[in-house]
Amino acid sequence: MPEWLLKSENYAPLADRDTFINKSILSLLKVLSKIRAQGGYKEDKLFVSPVFKLVFTLLYIVLLSVSQSFPYAYIMLTCQLLVLCLLPGRDIRRVLAGSLLATLFTFLIVLPTLLSGNTYSVIMIPLKVFSSITAVNILSNSTRWDRIIGALKRFHFPDLFLFVFDITVKYIFLLGEFSLEMLYAVKLRSVGRNKSKYASLGGVAGTLFLKSREMSEEMYAAMECRGFTGEYRSYEKFSLRAADVLYLLMNAAMTAIFFYFQGVAGKL
Amino acid sequence: MIELTNVSYSYEGAAALLDIHLKIERGQSVSLLGPNGSGKSTLLKVINGLIFPSAGSYRFDGAEITEKALKDVKFSKSFHQRLGFVFQNSETQLFCSNVFDEVAFGPRQMGFDEKEVAERVGDCLKLLNLRGFEQRAPYHLSGGEKKKVAIACVLALNPEVLVLDEPMNGLDPRTERWLAEFIINLNKSGKTVIVSTHNLELVQEISQRAVLFGEDHRIAADLDTYSLLDDVVLLKRVNLVDEYYHRHDEHGHGHFHIHNF
Repeated sequence: MPEWLLKSENYAPLADRDTFINKSILSLLKVLSKIRAQGGYKEDKLFVSPVFKLVFTLLYIVLLSVSQSFPYAYIMLTCQLLVLCLLPGRDIRRVLAGSLLATLFTFLIVLPTLLSGNTYSVIMIPLKVFSSITAVNILSNSTRWDRIIGALKRFHFPDLFLFVFDITVKYIFLLGEFSLEMLYAVKLRSVGRNKSKYASLGGVAGTLFLKSREMSEEMYAAMECRGFTGEYRSYEKFSLRAADVLYLLMNAAMTAIFFYFQGVAGKL
Repeated sequence: MIELTNVSYSYEGAAALLDIHLKIERGQSVSLLGPNGSGKSTLLKVINGLIFPSAGSYRFDGAEITEKALKDVKFSKSFHQRLGFVFQNSETQLFCSNVFDEVAFGPRQMGFDEKEVAERVGDCLKLLNLRGFEQRAPYHLSGGEKKKVAIACVLALNPEVLVLDEPMNGLDPRTERWLAEFIINLNKSGKTVIVSTHNLELVQEISQRAVLFGEDHRIAADLDTYSLLDDVVLLKRVNLVDEYYHRHDEHGHGHFHIHNF
């Protein structure tokens, strides 16, 4: 044993700023605990086929973007909020938090158009943003990722796209945990004045990149060993249930309302 | 030196530690045993100030370790210098471009001049049989070598307490044996050593005291290592061993083995 290791260290650290590392750790912890909280109980809600949910969410966004009718936008918003009410309180909070933040941001951006007297845009654009983001959030909060991938497969999305999407979703949590451990290591070993904090964080990012490549290669190899040929298949059997019929009728009505208001606008 | 009183901790409402009372004196060597998920790694994180108890208190050398206390940068840095932590996955502990810089990271921050840093790094690498690895990239080393580099990094800070989370995991038997000897020597040199492990063959060699965790996240026993390992009924009760594990020590040479059938 070297002599210095046998003696107790007489060390008084100098002050240094660790805010960046601490904040990174905190924000990563928040994200991971959110993912962990979701992972435990996330199951399909609303009992509607993910294929219908995906199609009508996309259709809803397109129709809403095209429409210039206030009554149509209000009716769609009301329907969205009614569907939202069917989700558990925790999901409602999560959906609304995301939608309201984006709406507020949009509102601030379009606010200057008020100076030129354009009240239409100041109300309509944030309304459309709120409504569209709420629709996407409802889809993602009420449907498991694997079922969304299954629905995308039914629409013949390329396998490579689905593979990248699938692996990304699976590894966000694992890589998050890995990076959290690395940040802990930087924090624990930063026992004095670190003159190159960003170099350490660069090292963390580099190692993370290498790790993510290694993990995805290993997983692909494991999938190959278990017979994966690069082709995604959807094994879900499609059956029309009462909730699907109700959902289809509701969306057919909303599409009809869109054309009705388009017609009214045309006559005017 | 380390005193946990009535400590509990939970992750998103799921208990990880419940009502932990533990006192570790300076110079002791303590092993934490228990089945997977019993809370050993969580306890090590609490001891290292990475997470904070949801109930109870933790004192290190008389000072209470709280989130607020560790916001004092000088106190926090001094605490982390005195307590070295080797993670279960040592890969996450390495973030520099070569082994020399990795081991020198701590000593450089402590304000040593480059000559002293080189001396300290050299000593650590020699101690861990890593001479010649100075310019190698840590990420591309083998599992055992990464573990050794992670230990070298922590030792370079000359901590008073060395905390190792599952240090034997993924090591070949020769490296395992070498690491056990190394831990014994560190303890003999005056370091307080806390090891979380599943390796019942080596635990009696590396520690005088063993703390056993149950699946209920509480301490099931805190005894001298030999007495704890003799209590096979207790080890079975906490699901650490099964009925095929037994202990031979009639010749003063105790070990566990498993029957193959």
